[in-house]
Amino acid sequence: MGQNLAKPVVTTPEVRAELMAHAPQGVPTGAGADKASGQPVWVGLQLAHQPHWHTYWKNSGDSGLPTELQWTLPAGVLAGDIDWPVPKKIPIGNLANYGYEGTVLLPVPLTITPDFKPPVGSDTLDVRLKAAWLVCRQECIPQEGEFALRIPLRGSTALNGAVFDAALAARPRPVMGPVGGVRPDSQVRIDGDALAVSVQGLPVALRGKTLDFFPETPEVIATAAAWTQAWNGGEWTARVPLSPQRANSPSVLPVVLAADGQGWRAELKVLGTWPAVAAPATVSPALEAALQANAANRAPPAPPAASGSWLAALLGALVGGLILNLMPCVFPVLAIKVLGFAQHGGDRRAHRLAGLAYTAGVVLSFVALGALLLALRAAGESLGWGFQLQNPAVVAGLAALFTVIGLNLAGVFEFGSVLPSSVASLQARHPVADSFLTGVLAVAVASPCTAPFMGASLGFAVGLPAAQALSVFAAIGLGLALPYLAASFLPAVARALPRPGAWMDTFRRLMAFPMFATVVWLVWVLGQQAGIDGAGALLALLVALSFVIWSLTLGGRTRTVMTSVSIASFVLLTLGIGQNVIKLAEPASSVAASTARWAPWAPGEVDKRLAAGQPVFVDFTAAWCVTCQYNKKTTLADAGLLAEFDAKKVQLLRADWTRRDPAITAALAQLGRNGVPVYVLYAAGKPPVVLSEILSVSEVRAALAGL
Amino acid sequence: MQRRSLLIASATGLALATPLTTWATASVGQPAPGFTLTDTAGKSVRLADFKGRAVVLEWNNPGCPFVRKHYQGNMQALQKEAAAQGVVWLAINSTETASGDYLSPAQLARWMQDKQAAPTATLMDEDGTAGRAYGARVTPHMYIVSAQGVLVYAGGIDSIPSARVDDIAKATNYVRQALAEIKAGKPVSVATSQAYGCSVKYKS
Repeated sequence: MGQNLAKPVVTTPEVRAELMAHAPQGVPTGAGADKASGQPVWVGLQLAHQPHWHTYWKNSGDSGLPTELQWTLPAGVLAGDIDWPVPKKIPIGNLANYGYEGTVLLPVPLTITPDFKPPVGSDTLDVRLKAAWLVCRQECIPQEGEFALRIPLRGSTALNGAVFDAALAARPRPVMGPVGGVRPDSQVRIDGDALAVSVQGLPVALRGKTLDFFPETPEVIATAAAWTQAWNGGEWTARVPLSPQRANSPSVLPVVLAADGQGWRAELKVLGTWPAVAAPATVSPALEAALQANAANRAPPAPPAASGSWLAALLGALVGGLILNLMPCVFPVLAIKVLGFAQHGGDRRAHRLAGLAYTAGVVLSFVALGALLLALRAAGESLGWGFQLQNPAVVAGLAALFTVIGLNLAGVFEFGSVLPSSVASLQARHPVADSFLTGVLAVAVASPCTAPFMGASLGFAVGLPAAQALSVFAAIGLGLALPYLAASFLPAVARALPRPGAWMDTFRRLMAFPMFATVVWLVWVLGQQAGIDGAGALLALLVALSFVIWSLTLGGRTRTVMTSVSIASFVLLTLGIGQNVIKLAEPASSVAASTARWAPWAPGEVDKRLAAGQPVFVDFTAAWCVTCQYNKKTTLADAGLLAEFDAKKVQLLRADWTRRDPAITAALAQLGRNGVPVYVLYAAGKPPVVLSEILSVSEVRAALAGL
Repeated sequence: MQRRSLLIASATGLALATPLTTWATASVGQPAPGFTLTDTAGKSVRLADFKGRAVVLEWNNPGCPFVRKHYQGNMQALQKEAAAQGVVWLAINSTETASGDYLSPAQLARWMQDKQAAPTATLMDEDGTAGRAYGARVTPHMYIVSAQGVLVYAGGIDSIPSARVDDIAKATNYVRQALAEIKAGKPVSVATSQAYGCSVKYKS
């Protein structure tokens, strides 16, 4: 039996190492394991060092290596991590290590699951351990040992109880966490070439005492350098110099503080940006080159040289506008257009006029919106395509507009009965104006989405001279309007429609539902921006607005009374809670906030992860971008794809552009884009791969395969 | 009162510690500190002698098991690759004369020869001046100075901190990777890493 060769003790000239167990209640098995959560089984490696020799903590400091334990355990028994006791700072000349001298026990908890079935005839839990430690005095000796131990299942293993009790009593305890905003978080702020540490929630008895400081992450601080500490009431602060050759840049720095042999552990949130260790080296060279190429594209090129790419942008914009018709954003307007077609029936002249008017409405609105965007950018605002929906007031306005359209389609009112006759007759007398306004509406809802080809063209356009840029916007509009324009000139399309009749009224009422669905979406967007209070206030105002509209359809004296009441309530509501609609809520509630899998995007985050050798996938998204939400719920929720992300260890980051965010606008500009969605896969040493706006699982797979 | 004395204590601590910390000034992305050392044959060697060529600095101590781990072939292979690329390789030993690990220039030269090592030069730094200027903490601690005289890499030789020879094949050799990137005219993608090994036995 090979197992009998390994013993619980390995002795070298420098260290006596012993595998120990502590199971005072025996080892729970089978059904008993369920009930045994309160009766832990501990194992551990005790290292007794000869004088002057030491082994290392999980962060070994300037040199050395942490002790490694590799367990071989029966099925159903799981070993936890080493519950590292508080280390000692061991200075060696101008260097320093964190480790242990004398005798130390490295305890490891064993989890006995109900799957653990001891072999028939056996009444022991067989534990085997392969341990590797580096033992140093001045010189260092790497050593290894193989250990075996049999823990009786029944009966108590408590011979080393005192050793385990002492080790467990001396392990670092967690500091008290923040208390509902009363006590601030423990944190560490990057302050130049030092860390400003602030730890809250330490026991009162410690106040005023000088503490030892041990960061668990290696290669961050200058271990041997002088540092300072102070107490500020219940807050312990320290200033610790960073290593000039820092190899780690964590976002959370776990630390152990110790005094009189007792330690406290805190996970410190890192605030601020890690100083670049090597400015040119943190971004992979290929990425750097690609970013530079992108940046060069954005610079206004000399007119003759640019004409080619400007024409390409125009073409891209036209195609992008065409595809925009297929994006979820435009669905509501699609509904209106189909209705318009049905209403004009076989009147070909009316069709053509309507088509032209719609086109004019779309193109002019695009140009107007583009001009506004360019003007605001010129004035120093950091904005991008879809910027108007970053404003809750615009979202609320659109929600009101779609409610009115929905009520109209549902037959609650006719414009003629509500509006002054001169305005109402405009629609009747001028179907052309009506079509024009549909075009404006189409742009209003379509603008938050960018389509394939369109994203690149828009990103390019914002860097062009104004006239050329506006022509790109016009081309998008033309592309968006083109299918209807073409349809209105093709008699075949009109002939294909059924004759006007009673079905049209049914169809019109049916079309009310896409409008209300749009209102739901807009309320949700506003909820992302202004919170639940804002969304609630908007819904209340929409109800009040509907009340006003309904009261206007009444006749005689009732109309006067109801109108007064409804308008008064609308005004009162607006004064009372209208403020909530346009008040921006805390970003914490945002839709794109981090989940377990998705970390929030932050400037420099991508470079940091790449420098750590991790590929990065970034989802540039916004609540108001329906295409983004569609991709998020389909492709980016695909279990197979997520598993593939995990397998390739890709860090997923989400950049939420629901509200204005100049950092995200700048990051989009680096990619040559000016709107969302944008999906990018970064890998060290390769140019970033920008994926298409309609994201498919196979496309992401193909990009991942290229890693 | 207590806080005040603490502040004073910490201020004095900082003042006392300043001379200690100034040695660790070499930073990646900054000009590499110059040095003049004597090689094992007694010849004076200056870093500035190699201006215009990339230079690898290897902190060496044959008494250290981590150095011996890599001198079972890995380090020599890397030295030969560097030489073939026209890269200068300086092995520097900062072990103080009082240390048990100290080897005389002749002994060190003999050890390097036995190991069929192929550095451009093996340099003696018993006073630890070059080691302190670079912040070398361990053996083997590896640095690369670019042809422009800028420190472009500081850290371990590879990605798996261990004393096991078997791990070399599984690890990413950061020095090899950096040299390949430098040769291709690209910036170094991993410019710092965990330097692992034995402490440098500095003169106190």
